[in-house]
Amino acid sequence: MSDKLKQVISRQNKQQQNESIDQSDDIVQLVGFIIGEEEYAVPILSIQEIIKPFTWTRVPQVPKYVMGVFNLRGAVIPLIDLRLKFGLSEKKHSDETRFIVMKDRDDVAGFVIDRLTMAIRIKKENIGPAPDTINGDNTTIDGVGKQEDRIITILKVNKLLERDF
Amino acid sequence: MDEFQEILQDFLVEAFELVEKLDEDLVELEASPEDLELLNGIFRVAHTIKGASSFLNFDVLTHLTHHMEDVLNKARHGELIITPDVMDVVLESIDLMKTLLNIIRDTSSDAGVDVSECVARLDKISGGDGDVSSPVVTAPVVEVAEPVVEDEPDYDNMSDDDVEAEIQRLLEQRQAEDKAKREAKVAAGEEVLAPPPEPDEETSAQNAKESKPEKKLEPKSEPIKAPVPRASTNARPVSDNEDLDNDAKAAAPAKRSNNSVDQTIRVDVKRLDHLMNLIGELVLAKNRLIKINDDVEERYEGEEFLEELNQVVSIVSLVTTDLQIAVMKTRMLPIGKVFNKFPRMIRDLTRELNKKIELVIKGEETELDKSIVEEIGDPLVHIIRNSCDHGIETPEVRLANGKSETGTISLTAYNEGNQIVIQIDDDGKGLDADILKNKALEKGIISEKEADNMGEKEAFLLIMKPGFSTAASVTNVSGRGVGMDVVKTNIEKVNGIIDIDSETGVGSSVKLKIPLTLAIIQALLVGVQEEAYAIPLSSVLETVRISKDEIYTVESRSVMRLRDDVLSLVHIGDIFEVERILDSSEHAYVVVLGLGAQKLGLIVDSLVGQEEIVIKSLGEYLKGIKGIAGATIRGDGGVTLIVDVVALMEIAKNVKATSMISDQNSESAQSREKTKASDYTIMIVDDSKTDRMIMRKSLEATGMSLVEASDGLEALNILKQGDYHFDAMLIDIEMPRMDGYTLATEIKKYNRYKQMPLIAVTSRTGKSDRMRGVESGMVEYITKPYSADYLSSVVQRNVNFKSEFLS
Repeated sequence: MSDKLKQVISRQNKQQQNESIDQSDDIVQLVGFIIGEEEYAVPILSIQEIIKPFTWTRVPQVPKYVMGVFNLRGAVIPLIDLRLKFGLSEKKHSDETRFIVMKDRDDVAGFVIDRLTMAIRIKKENIGPAPDTINGDNTTIDGVGKQEDRIITILKVNKLLERDF
Repeated sequence: MDEFQEILQDFLVEAFELVEKLDEDLVELEASPEDLELLNGIFRVAHTIKGASSFLNFDVLTHLTHHMEDVLNKARHGELIITPDVMDVVLESIDLMKTLLNIIRDTSSDAGVDVSECVARLDKISGGDGDVSSPVVTAPVVEVAEPVVEDEPDYDNMSDDDVEAEIQRLLEQRQAEDKAKREAKVAAGEEVLAPPPEPDEETSAQNAKESKPEKKLEPKSEPIKAPVPRASTNARPVSDNEDLDNDAKAAAPAKRSNNSVDQTIRVDVKRLDHLMNLIGELVLAKNRLIKINDDVEERYEGEEFLEELNQVVSIVSLVTTDLQIAVMKTRMLPIGKVFNKFPRMIRDLTRELNKKIELVIKGEETELDKSIVEEIGDPLVHIIRNSCDHGIETPEVRLANGKSETGTISLTAYNEGNQIVIQIDDDGKGLDADILKNKALEKGIISEKEADNMGEKEAFLLIMKPGFSTAASVTNVSGRGVGMDVVKTNIEKVNGIIDIDSETGVGSSVKLKIPLTLAIIQALLVGVQEEAYAIPLSSVLETVRISKDEIYTVESRSVMRLRDDVLSLVHIGDIFEVERILDSSEHAYVVVLGLGAQKLGLIVDSLVGQEEIVIKSLGEYLKGIKGIAGATIRGDGGVTLIVDVVALMEIAKNVKATSMISDQNSESAQSREKTKASDYTIMIVDDSKTDRMIMRKSLEATGMSLVEASDGLEALNILKQGDYHFDAMLIDIEMPRMDGYTLATEIKKYNRYKQMPLIAVTSRTGKSDRMRGVESGMVEYITKPYSADYLSSVVQRNVNFKSEFLS
């Protein structure tokens, strides 16, 4: 028992050391998720929470991708479907569908995503700028993260939370 | 004393806040000196502090702010450019203000700080020669510093030189005292062994004694004994006086923070909102707990622990309810809190202006949301000052005009609909629209053309413009043309309306109409299809149940007869783009909305009931949606949108006749063009896997797409999700959870599935079963067992299967 405990503790210590090493580097922590076929990510600190889908209330006179509002422990928060926002077709929510609640200062909104992937630690040097063709102030793309075998599009949370209708 | 203390505390809390803000704003102003808005804001703050301090008799503070205000005023009118040098002086004066405020907090008077130098510099900046001010500065200091010798006539009788000398002497004395005080403070705070008292110490000790009665003996022993017991025992017999003084100083700040300034705590409304939300959550949890308790009670009837559980649940629910009420109450304040400071203000003003004015207060128990109460304090001060200064005439003039010598200002608050009205009436000389217009023309606030087109009421509102003032000279009371600007800004901040009425020679009346947007409102909840909306009950006149043939169409608008009137109608679904999924019944409800003289009938599917709701904003992202005033969270945790009746009436004007009946078949008629066999989709509903398999096998040959469901509920959910477009359904009758008949009845409620063929596949062969099948909307009735070919042919017939698809 005590051996096991020691093991656990030593492992935790190692992890912490690893973490501290990571932190000393220029590491960006992201949360990855899938919309359609693509993997996207947002900085972990801009995420307030991730919840399973529940009921929401439709709001009239808004673009289709604004699904409505929902009650997050007493706060009325807009719900935005990123599939529709990114021009993909509508898809029914599955077991893997999640609402990611993101915040940028006082702005908060929930975003519907198809599925979460993982928390990602990525070195700053591995993040490239958004492709020239979509660069500019109006893009929601912050940069492109490269990891071994895949490419992750990093999104600008403040742009996502900006009203654009 | 008590009343004064209360006002003083409010003043201090407010003043500290304002000064804090001044600091920020001034620094920002230095960065952008052209920002007139900012400058105006700063000026208003300075003006407010000046106003408040002058009526509390803090002459030094008033004096200082007055000169600061002068500088700002010049800058505001472009006569002065804010250079860093100017800013230095202004900031220095702010620091002085802070010092003064601290002293006021500690001693309830503003004596003891020499502001003359700073004032002189301020004066120089604003164009004076710098000397004029000093006697004015110090005179009040004297007055306040020595409350014992407060008899003003003494000074009045002195010659100017004598006054100078006296002032000089008192000043020196005061400065020495202050020095001693400061030293004593430091000593008391850091070590017990104080430096030997200076000769002046005694006076200040006496002062301290005067301002704080006997109480101080109590805490005295503690601070002394604790750190260095020896020192206290030794010191006491030698110089009790010194000890007492030190103690008083050490104990005083702590004592004050206990029972004076901190008696009221200003809380950020956000925090209260947060608290409110948490309690909402608690209420939801409580409701669930009660429900669970009921379930448990049912299941374990007679068990002993139930009694205990019951008790706990009822205590929790009781406390939750109380808590909810308590928090709601923290947000509501009687307006009396604001009104109470006015009698004193009026009294001081009457003395200052040599007028006789009586203040009548009514409705001080009217409750308002806390944030609104805070916003209306300033505006009311300015309006009342204005009434006193410009409205009420001097006694002589009043008598000459045949009025009673004493003027009356009445301050009334009452509820009107979902608004609170605060009315300030005076029986003074009233406003003259023509004079106002001329003045505004003169000052270039309006153009000649505007003046010509201006009605009387609009002209009255000119007094709210920044920089407008009818008073010939700038007095301490009013006339800078800033006060009423404050009124407008603050009232607009809470979405209020200002209404001014006046009759020359008879008096004027200012009405502030403030909506209760932040408060909890009563709402009528209505249902349309599967959605619910909340309509503020204050704009609902009545509700009527009508049958559809009572709706007529006139010039492509729906109308109905309501008693002797014709009421134009609009369907709530047309306004809020509600998809018609469910078939609406024969009857509908009309909610008659009234807004002033305007009336509108809103057709809804059902009336849910009346509920008390808390308005929440939809937030930055969704603000400004037409027809939606906000949202509220319901008992079940869902969000319900609140209808904005004003906007709704606007929208309704552009909505053509309600398409209530017209679009019945549109969707199902649009059955898509079939290009291949798999475009046909059939749902198989059966609880037996074998049966489903048999059906699947029978139909597979046709190449149709097949979807399976194991009972009625599952089938219904698949339909609701709308992932597929079904051409027909095969339904077993006997199934768990929801049987075939019920399923069929449910399906037929949906418009888009009205035309879909439902085929019963069952082993029930009785005639009554078949009858029930037909009643619930089944078109075919296949009895088990059946041949695969038969089933396939029935389905093909019902979906108009094109034979060329058969391979």
